[in-house]
Amino acid sequence: MQQLADIEESLTLFTEGIAGRYLHIKASEEFVSHLGLKLDLLGAGQTQDTIYLPNELDAPSSGAYRFLVMEQIGQRECGTFRFRFDQALDKVEVLKNLYSPPKDLTPRTGDYYLLFNCFSHPSLASELFFLLEKARVIGHLLRHYPGLKRHIDHFFDHIAVVTGPSEDPLENAKSYLQGHAHDSQWNLIYEAIDDLKQAKKSVYDSAYYLCELYELVAAFYVVNDTQLFDDQEEQLGDWLNREQRLEEWEEDMEKVESALFSFDQFEGDEIEAELSENAGGSVREEDLDIKSLEEGRDQLKRRIDMERSSVQHAMGPDQSVSRSFRYDEWDYLNRTYLRHWCRVFEEPLVPKDEEEIDDLNQVIRDYRPLVQKQLEQIRPTGLQRVKRVQDGDELDLNAIIEARQDLRAGQSPDERFYSRKERMHRDVCAVFLVDLSASTDDPIEKSEPKPLTKEEQERIDNLRDPWDAITADELITEEPKRKIIDVQREAMVVMASALDALGDNYGIYGFSGYGKDCVELFVAKEPDDKFTNTTLRSIASMSPKRSTRMGPAIRHGITKLTQSGQAMKILIILSDGFPQDCDYGPERGNHDYGVEDTAKALEEAERKGIESFCITVDRSGHDYLKRMCPNGRYMIIEEMNDLPDQLTKLYTQLTNR
Amino acid sequence: MDSLTQGEQPYYLPLKDEINVFESAYEAKLPVLLKGPTGCGKTRFVEHMTWKLYQNKTEAPDVSLVTVSCHEDLTATDMVGRYLLKGDETVWNDGPLTRAVRTGAICYLDEIVEARKDTTVLIHSLTDHRRILPIDKTGELVPAHEEFLLVISYNPGYQSVLKDLKPSTRQRFVSLEFDYPSVELETTIIAHEAQIEESSAERLAVIGERVRNLKQHGFEEGVSTRLLIYAGQLMARGIEPRRAAEAAIISAVSDDSTIQQAVADIVDVILP
Repeated sequence: MQQLADIEESLTLFTEGIAGRYLHIKASEEFVSHLGLKLDLLGAGQTQDTIYLPNELDAPSSGAYRFLVMEQIGQRECGTFRFRFDQALDKVEVLKNLYSPPKDLTPRTGDYYLLFNCFSHPSLASELFFLLEKARVIGHLLRHYPGLKRHIDHFFDHIAVVTGPSEDPLENAKSYLQGHAHDSQWNLIYEAIDDLKQAKKSVYDSAYYLCELYELVAAFYVVNDTQLFDDQEEQLGDWLNREQRLEEWEEDMEKVESALFSFDQFEGDEIEAELSENAGGSVREEDLDIKSLEEGRDQLKRRIDMERSSVQHAMGPDQSVSRSFRYDEWDYLNRTYLRHWCRVFEEPLVPKDEEEIDDLNQVIRDYRPLVQKQLEQIRPTGLQRVKRVQDGDELDLNAIIEARQDLRAGQSPDERFYSRKERMHRDVCAVFLVDLSASTDDPIEKSEPKPLTKEEQERIDNLRDPWDAITADELITEEPKRKIIDVQREAMVVMASALDALGDNYGIYGFSGYGKDCVELFVAKEPDDKFTNTTLRSIASMSPKRSTRMGPAIRHGITKLTQSGQAMKILIILSDGFPQDCDYGPERGNHDYGVEDTAKALEEAERKGIESFCITVDRSGHDYLKRMCPNGRYMIIEEMNDLPDQLTKLYTQLTNR
Repeated sequence: MDSLTQGEQPYYLPLKDEINVFESAYEAKLPVLLKGPTGCGKTRFVEHMTWKLYQNKTEAPDVSLVTVSCHEDLTATDMVGRYLLKGDETVWNDGPLTRAVRTGAICYLDEIVEARKDTTVLIHSLTDHRRILPIDKTGELVPAHEEFLLVISYNPGYQSVLKDLKPSTRQRFVSLEFDYPSVELETTIIAHEAQIEESSAERLAVIGERVRNLKQHGFEEGVSTRLLIYAGQLMARGIEPRRAAEAAIISAVSDDSTIQQAVADIVDVILP
């Protein structure tokens, strides 16, 4: 038995290698569709950014999973989702006779919807068509990936769902495709399958065979059981096709934009001069062109927007910019790890505009003298001359004299008579995890209402004229209060500029999320990135999001640190309260589960040689922090404004051991 | 004449116009910087060009190509020369760079950013109009031979931020960018170098292309053309293709077991 969880990590890499772009690998249980779209019988399928696979397969090796992945990628490589109905009409003669435009035809109507509606039972047509496509895809895979053959054979022999002998044409076609016994009365279908497996067949060849074979197949069901294909369901294939079409529209959009741009460029010089000669004062043709182009662009833009939101509604939000990872979670009630329980999405923060980082730059300037003083304690002292080495840039005089003495005395001398300069390096990688839960939007302190002036008091008390009376609340002018997130951002910026000067590697991530399947990790800076204005702008765009599921965020931080390869690894968590999430433990109000899981994650960090530390602003945090952090490695910041200062001190201590 | 210029022409399949650019740079005495990932053919290109440029020369140096593979502990002394103990004397011994400067060879500093910073500054006076090499230990100023050319290579991909080439150094060179060839060209290269059939070579090239899609994941370089040729050479000597790929590609690209597994899976579906 093969479990997806066991091989998910390497399978994700495999998929990225073959497909040439990142695709999430998820279990079929994670598939959600608002339109009731379905994966195939086994639970495999794909959306714009994800390949879904069954949680387990009864197979001796992971080859079966590879085949399922390849089948999905194969559909893309074979252009199954680049089917355009107008081209099909050109290429498949018979289709013209079958097609009459539906009443609800719009430019956004799906191409596969149009194709299947040419037939009396669209669902039957769809089933037949995708079966033929499957044959074409398998033919393609066998030609280009010969190593898959044994996995395909094994899959069809042992895993694929096979029904017993029947007269059903579709079942027989499946059996034929899989190399099992089949009823010879459907030879025409088998011939089509064999033909489609050949090289240089396109999706329109499948459409051709659909037209050819449909009547034959439908006749069987008319006699037997038409009910089976009566209800018309939304098809995942149609939506994937629409999603692909969206990309083509976007390309069209770019073309229109660039055409308009070139009009703009030329206007005023050549074209105008040329036109005034030719047009002789009438309305310029170019102006008309520009107008129609602009109208076309606006129309296309509206269509793209509407189509994109429909596609996202059907197949879920597009997460192609993020990468996802699964992590275990510690269930303290049952004293066991829940295997691959949480999914962490790692996505880049969208940097803010240049102007908005002025404040942060000011913060850096304010703190620089203080921070520099502290860091000087741990900065390595440049170059040091190492003596008595085998190879170097200068001779070591003392060693030379000794060597000479030895030679004179007839002994073999020590060969290490050089000296060289060596630079002292710090070998540190730090990861900062910043809590971006909704509560970081709270002000640092609730401001006390200012005492009212005498006049104001009189006005409030002036009850003789109720129209003039105002309330105390209205009088207090609201100043924008500093929020926890503001100070967190400032602390991170101070830290970043300090560490950059020190030369340590460090990464800065914000974390939040909602629910176990959507823990979000926002990347402001990876350890290998340079500290630039973009880093500052990314930190500036850190904003309060949703919950605080700390465990998976810490585990992802551990992965990052382990991958860095640095000798000293530091993990610092900045938060404003206890870990909590909607499904972090059986009871929502009880935080023990979250605390225990976080404690376990920190324990895992310690086992991997990572120094961890929690900094929180929650003044009532002692009770749970004591349980959560190993060896009292936590700090409660009383005065929030001290955070940047305290953080630098802490970092100095942690790395100066 | 040395073995390089006397032997056969080293095989090199041009990807773009790099041969013309290099020849012109040599004529104009402009130093050349080769940028590109490991194992994509930089060193072979330099060998090929040296053969081309020196084979018909009447007064060619004994060694026409001096290659220095730079590493973290390589100092300026290692390149320029040092005093050695010989018997009772300390005698000056030219380093490879000085030798090339004196004799008029091509000096190729491979992976220059790996070396210490003092080495990169050392080449500054050699790479502008002065063309001299100062040796501070002997107080000598060695003017470069007419035929001398400095070629350095550098791999912007995997070196860390700290090891970036300084702009003042980078801007002294004519820069040639290299990358892994397309599947078609790589097929030709592998087939020629490993002496295997086109079809097998193509499979290896496809493996290369797909594995390179993973290059951000811990192994910075992807699989090099060199490794693919190694796999081909093993296959040409009768090693079963999967075993050859395992030995030459899978184990070589990364030590991370997950990545190894993913690369093994890619090889598994592509090789028959």
